[in-house]
Amino acid sequence: MSTSRDDFGIALRSALLKKGARQKFSLFFLIIFATIIFFLDFYKLKPINITRAVISDGIYKTSNIATAPIKAFSSIKNNAIELFITFKENKVLRDELEDLKRKEFQVEYLKNQNENLRKILEADSKILGESTLAKVLLDKKSPYLKSIIINRGSRAGVSKGMPVLDGNYLVGRVVEVNYLSSRVLLLNDLNSRIPITFGKNSIQAILTGKGGNNPQLEYLPEFFTPEGNSTVYTSGKDGVLNAGLPVGKTIFEKEKVFVKMFSDPNQLSFVTVQLSDASEENF
Amino acid sequence: MAIVYKNFSKNLVNAGPLILLYYISISEIDSQFSNLFEILSFNLQIIIIYYWMLKSPSILGNGHIFLAGIINDVVMGFPLGLSSMSYLAVSFVASYIRNVTVNISLFTDWFTFILAIFFSNIILMTLIYNFTSLKLEYSDIFYNSFFTFLFYPAFWGFFNFYKKIMIVGQDD
Repeated sequence: MSTSRDDFGIALRSALLKKGARQKFSLFFLIIFATIIFFLDFYKLKPINITRAVISDGIYKTSNIATAPIKAFSSIKNNAIELFITFKENKVLRDELEDLKRKEFQVEYLKNQNENLRKILEADSKILGESTLAKVLLDKKSPYLKSIIINRGSRAGVSKGMPVLDGNYLVGRVVEVNYLSSRVLLLNDLNSRIPITFGKNSIQAILTGKGGNNPQLEYLPEFFTPEGNSTVYTSGKDGVLNAGLPVGKTIFEKEKVFVKMFSDPNQLSFVTVQLSDASEENF
Repeated sequence: MAIVYKNFSKNLVNAGPLILLYYISISEIDSQFSNLFEILSFNLQIIIIYYWMLKSPSILGNGHIFLAGIINDVVMGFPLGLSSMSYLAVSFVASYIRNVTVNISLFTDWFTFILAIFFSNIILMTLIYNFTSLKLEYSDIFYNSFFTFLFYPAFWGFFNFYKKIMIVGQDD
């Protein structure tokens, strides 16, 4: 009995303390070191924050370079598929074009449509205000967290809490700012909560990320009767996000109200950070 | 010149698992395949660390495992040191199993791997729930761990094959 206990102790000590020719540090030392780093980061001491920001910038840039071949391969593949599809489409479109030429009223329809789209574009540009365009550096699809890294940081005027849009649609908000990069928490992340409003009666609710593609509406009024296909906008009640940013359309599943986002959070390549005056105190 | 080239290629082959570990930690390569199957995701880093610390600890080294964890934390947005502790727990279990086991087979490796996943997840979840405001789904962690465990034999076979290449390289 005591021999087996001795063996256990020896094996445990050996696993924790053994160093070899290429093992410069013992496991015990590294576990202690990792624990110290974790708690220094947890208490958010200023020197650690600065070090973390510098390390983060370096790693994000390196990561961006490291993933370049994969992105290039993916881009070539997509281009090849697109070319193949375009070739097929071209034939179909040529036939359609002949038909369109014969139909004058179709031209008129397109003219009207163009006018309408122009009006929408003008209205949308008013919503945006001062903003900065950012490239998505990293979109690591974690099974746990839904966030992206963008190539704009405090140098470009980005600060915590600022809304991030894809086109004119809200996709998330900035939660971590470094000098050259920032992390954006997407609306479908479990940790995301934003106040929204929707429907004819301007119903107020909280949009809560559930990890899936469609976030859920929570804290709805007590006698809420579901209205189909309503557009959801930010309410601006939190004092961080501006009011009136479009988010998506309501859908109903299993007696719960979800929001189908206008912008697919998995397909982001360029986003716009709205440089509002969101302060860290509000955030 | 030929000797220099030979040594370089031999070192490169031997550093393969380490390069793979760093590359997975730093790059955008995902081990999540929700587009194929909603719950399919696994942790390749844990498999690499467990296999190589069990079979050939000198290939990875605890210092590199620690550093890969720090890089993973930065990329994933976790507090610094969290993944390092989780990876070092896997390394610890592998070292312990290596010390107490004489005959190593796929079967024993695979089942002791449960211990490594268990300790790794315990550390990860305890620290996240007690010291951070991050919110994780238990089910996601469970599915991730399950598929990590399930895919271990496939990677075991692949790494065994790779190890033979390394041994041939060393004998040359």
